[in-house]
Amino acid sequence: MSTAAAVQYVLPAVLITRADLARLMREIEALDNELEAQKVRNHASGKASGYHLPTMSRSLNDFLEQNHIDIADDKIRVALRETLKDTKEHAPIMHMTFAVEADPEFLQRLVGWLRQEIHPQALLSVGLQPALVGGVYVRTPNHVHDFSIRSLLEDKRDIIRHELEGLV
Amino acid sequence: MTIWWLAFILASLAAVCAGFVWIIIVLNRLQSGGGKKALGDLNKAYSDIAEEDATHLFNKEFREELRNRGRLRFEKIIDENAMFLKQDLDMTISQLNDYMKKEISAKLDGEFAAYAKAMQEAQELALGSLQKTAQEVEEQRQGLAQAMQQYVADRESAMLKVYEDNMAKIVEHYVLLALGDQFDLKAQLPYIIHQMEQNKQNIMEDMRL
Repeated sequence: MSTAAAVQYVLPAVLITRADLARLMREIEALDNELEAQKVRNHASGKASGYHLPTMSRSLNDFLEQNHIDIADDKIRVALRETLKDTKEHAPIMHMTFAVEADPEFLQRLVGWLRQEIHPQALLSVGLQPALVGGVYVRTPNHVHDFSIRSLLEDKRDIIRHELEGLV
Repeated sequence: MTIWWLAFILASLAAVCAGFVWIIIVLNRLQSGGGKKALGDLNKAYSDIAEEDATHLFNKEFREELRNRGRLRFEKIIDENAMFLKQDLDMTISQLNDYMKKEISAKLDGEFAAYAKAMQEAQELALGSLQKTAQEVEEQRQGLAQAMQQYVADRESAMLKVYEDNMAKIVEHYVLLALGDQFDLKAQLPYIIHQMEQNKQNIMEDMRL
């Protein structure tokens, strides 16, 4: 692993899933290609060195901003690509299944808490299961935590039984 | 009365015999002291007299009378003996009856006592058997009653549990259908974070593996 790969970048809240990270990596790769192309063109035309940064996505902007990265630096871009590749392969992923479709804002708040409290580079894998009614069904690499309303209702059946026994 | 007759007869016989004895003695004196002829005549005379007297004394009527008297006497004796025999027999029969009664009574008493004892033993045995049977029946009844009560209680409990389970499922199903997707996910965020906070340590250890 390279020296850059050992650097732990802060992942912005908009980077929620592994797909988001892969998209970020593709964008960085495309940006790298674009900047390399500009470098070649500048060299061919004899212009002074300097890049015209294309429009970047919000996730890339937030990532660069939060990690104070100068994307115009060739070495940093190479290191960044390596690091992100390593992060993508080794970042812990938590699978969370909800009863309804989770909106990005909700997921960002959730992943923010997750990276703050659990692991700074944790990623989410989001699923949908309407039978859960509410809450979340969490699956970590080795455990399952059922925080769903369905599970809560099942656990609270004793209350109904107790009430029924009181009636009988 | 009969004795007197008998004494009379015996006296007559004794007198006759005494006469014969006296005649013989006289004849002996005559033979030893007088003439044989006179003695012979005298003997002949005495013989005739004796024969005449004997004939006169034991004539047919007298013999008949004696026979009748003897018959009557014999009958009387037989009657008396029969009466005595009858009395003895009656007495013996009476004693025998008493003896038999006593023996039979004793025997019967003994048999009755043995029978009563046997009956009592049989009764006690039967009573004991009945009591034992009754006790066993009672024990079986109690066991059966307990088993039935236990069965009823278990059955009731099982039915109640099934009812409660089903009721809980019905209520739960109702809640699930009623709520459906009406839950606001954002509103659930504090609950989710709270739950994850509670299991934070486990999640952290698992995520760092």
